[in-house]
Amino acid sequence: MHMADALLSPVVGGAFWAASAATIAVSAKKTAAESDGSRTVLMGVLGAFVFAAQMINFTIPGTGSSGHIGGGLLLAVLLGPWRAFITLASVLVVQALFFADGGLLALGANIFNLAFIPAFIALPLLYRPIAGSGSSPVRIGAASLVGVIGGLLAGAFMVVVQTTLSGISDLPFTTFLLFMLPIHAAIGLVEGVMTWGVLASVRTAEPGLLNTTPNAAAPNARLVTTALLTLALATGGVLSLLASPNPDGLEWSIGKVVGAEELRDAGHSLHATLAALQERLSFLPDYGFRDSAGESELGTSASGITGSLIVLLAAGGAGLLLRRRHTGESRP
Amino acid sequence: MSAPPGKESFAGMLAGSLPASSCRLPVSDRAALLMLFLFVLFVVALSKYDLAGALAFAAIPTLMATASGIPLRPLIGRLLIASPFILFMAAANLLFDRTPMAALAGLPISGGMVSAAVITIKSMATLTALLTLMACLPFHRFGAALSALGVPAPFVTQLLLVYRYSFLLAEEAAMMQKARDLRAFNGKGTGIAATAKLLGSLLVRTTTRGERIYRAMSARGFDHALTAVGATPLAAADIAAIAASALLFTLLQLLF
Repeated sequence: MHMADALLSPVVGGAFWAASAATIAVSAKKTAAESDGSRTVLMGVLGAFVFAAQMINFTIPGTGSSGHIGGGLLLAVLLGPWRAFITLASVLVVQALFFADGGLLALGANIFNLAFIPAFIALPLLYRPIAGSGSSPVRIGAASLVGVIGGLLAGAFMVVVQTTLSGISDLPFTTFLLFMLPIHAAIGLVEGVMTWGVLASVRTAEPGLLNTTPNAAAPNARLVTTALLTLALATGGVLSLLASPNPDGLEWSIGKVVGAEELRDAGHSLHATLAALQERLSFLPDYGFRDSAGESELGTSASGITGSLIVLLAAGGAGLLLRRRHTGESRP
Repeated sequence: MSAPPGKESFAGMLAGSLPASSCRLPVSDRAALLMLFLFVLFVVALSKYDLAGALAFAAIPTLMATASGIPLRPLIGRLLIASPFILFMAAANLLFDRTPMAALAGLPISGGMVSAAVITIKSMATLTALLTLMACLPFHRFGAALSALGVPAPFVTQLLLVYRYSFLLAEEAAMMQKARDLRAFNGKGTGIAATAKLLGSLLVRTTTRGERIYRAMSARGFDHALTAVGATPLAAADIAAIAASALLFTLLQLLF
């Protein structure tokens, strides 16, 4: 779903413009470095193919309606991430300029949601690990479904985040999310099947096309790590502020039974000792600062970021220890 | 080469975008693009309940569209196609913000009504400005302007190639769809499986065409990029035009 200018604030729109523009610059540099004119032309015609393919509607069984393919993951599979990103971004620019799909300021957000996510998240993290070498039609099918659904859900989630952060719509975050995600999951299911069908058809007619990208190497570890770390910190530091203040399932159930969110201490000395120890050790009790009265946004953000970093250190440390032990055992 | 498709067809919508008009830009292409971006920024920066400001800014693209001489029906048609999501979000504001803000002839006006109107007007204003400019600016000049503004050459090349070949492929896709529909009975043969094979066939034909296009372009001296213009500094007239528009937008924001 395309974002619109009127739903974005200048800050949010500008930030995504900057991110998309930077990615376009890097992608352009990478593709120019390859100096492959034939693939440049292939990108152009495949971008035009996406337009043409979106014209062809198919009947969705059991619904009485019809749909069309989006083409994001399909392009990513055929061209690889950098070239697919530039192609998808150019398609989105033409859609914005001539079909009023989105808008000028929203272009940055739309390029991020509909080009960056399929090319740099869905393809390396979802499609390629499942599809493997691409020799098994079943694996290609599973990879197509997971990749398309994951990419669409991530894009829909970003629309909700961008709208909420802009503060122009009064639609609550949770309600908007509950509306967007199921719809896009259903759309993703149909498009995933369609993408599988197209890839299977191409694999039969022209198998060389599916090898137009270099052999699927492992995703760039540094890039993936940086991206995931940034995402974790952004989620802990910023998105945590959008968390629902309502009690979770357990607290809600306890509240219905005893009339409070937590059970009162039964008075056992072990419980009291452990509770006192926990209170002494926790430097961010209840996801806030120790001395602040009630919840504060800074406390919530600090808790999210601190928690993420502690988990990263703990998991990273455990991984290093296990790696050393494995390396030690494998030496003769 | 076959005649350009009629304007009512999908391919016709793309060919020349909105029907050709005799509008001429009073400023350079680059200045026009920058002024458009500035306009969108000022409109988006209007506060949620600033109805007067939204209406004032909406007057500018309305004047542009009527003065340019472009046919208004296709423009309005495009805006209507783009409106469902915007109207849905505006309706959400109606539902969730019922705080009374004012009264009109005894009828209470809620904050949601005002913000819904502002969202709709802002969307229509920015899209009208964008579509009107693109109707007056041939795409090859748009590509040259982007190149002069420093946009990377591979990206500008992609834009030009996608625009150019969308016509050819849209025609081919329309013919394939018609052939499929003529051979379908009671909707059988228009399902996912058949359409996937159709798209697969179109994809293979597309890549084969791509190879032919590349050979033809290489024979004519294609060297990985279609744009020869690099980034150049803005002329004094462009800077004056952009500054004047920024001043006008600032005045509108202050007055309304």
